[in-house]
Amino acid sequence: MDRNQIKKWLKSPGKMAHKYSLWAIYFCTGCGIIEIPPVITSRWDAERFGVLPAPSPRQANLFLITGYVSVKTLKAIIKTYEQMPEPKYTVGFGSCPINGGMYWDSYNTIKHLDKYIPVDGWIAGCMPRPEAIFIAVTHLWTLIDKGMAKGYVKYREQYGRYRENQEMALGRLEWPPLFPLKDEND
Amino acid sequence: MINRLKQELESTFREISVAVPGENGITVVASPVQILTILRFLKDRGYDHLAMISCVDWIKEDSLELVYLVSAYLTGDNEYTGREKITVTLKTRIPRKEPEFPTAIPVFENAEPYEREIHELFGIHFTGHPRLIPLFLEREYEIPPFRKDFDTREYVKEVFDKIPFVENKE
Repeated sequence: MDRNQIKKWLKSPGKMAHKYSLWAIYFCTGCGIIEIPPVITSRWDAERFGVLPAPSPRQANLFLITGYVSVKTLKAIIKTYEQMPEPKYTVGFGSCPINGGMYWDSYNTIKHLDKYIPVDGWIAGCMPRPEAIFIAVTHLWTLIDKGMAKGYVKYREQYGRYRENQEMALGRLEWPPLFPLKDEND
Repeated sequence: MINRLKQELESTFREISVAVPGENGITVVASPVQILTILRFLKDRGYDHLAMISCVDWIKEDSLELVYLVSAYLTGDNEYTGREKITVTLKTRIPRKEPEFPTAIPVFENAEPYEREIHELFGIHFTGHPRLIPLFLEREYEIPPFRKDFDTREYVKEVFDKIPFVENKE
């Protein structure tokens, strides 16, 4: 442990623990997943940053969306996201989840992922280099430190709106709502 | 090898045009009723691998073109017979309006997913197909999305762009 951070650890141990135990769900979407194996193995070694892949969504708290999201994948993403325990962080990787990227006029690709689930950060590029993942992770640390990575809280609070959007894209969802469907702002 | 196949095809079937564009390819253009017979003929000659079924939308000529790619596996003893390098391209055209075509499953069983794909992307109904259900797509489309008159930009504006951002919602 870094000695300079002892103060931080004593002040807010919860935040520090969240920062350094990011478990990324091994969820493959689109072409960006090809960057993940070198990132988590010896070449770039994500464990230096406390990031390790988790085999199941119930053990993970970092969700990397690594490429274009088709309508069918969106369904899997929502199911996975809702299974992850809080606090959970989502990072969109590559241009495609941001605004569709090169699939901007595709008939079957979701254009803006943050209409359906909250996203804490984006990595732009097509493809981003593996180093970009580490930059994103360090940015995510800052966000957690400052209490700004609150996507999961937003999802809980505005679940009605998210669910409505999800149903607009996917039709009727076959699973029951995760949270009560009332909006706090209404 | 390839010239012998060409001769056999020309002597067996009437009103087909056979072309040899390169040393490893042979292109057969036939009428829709002949396709299953030709596929069976090729299978009997040892071309037992249906590599792909594809579809092309010729909107100006008002027809859909089905393309069957057939090649040969190695024999059981891994012996070369000369067939392995040859790919037979079999083409036929059917009208664009309410297209129907007999399924190729009785000849090649692996035609099943290809025909389902063409059914949902081009809207061709394969008669005799046991389960013609969607393969990839989740949404329903008025015009099958791979047809040339399907306006993807308009569709995106209509569907995905109309979904509001959560922050902008009332």
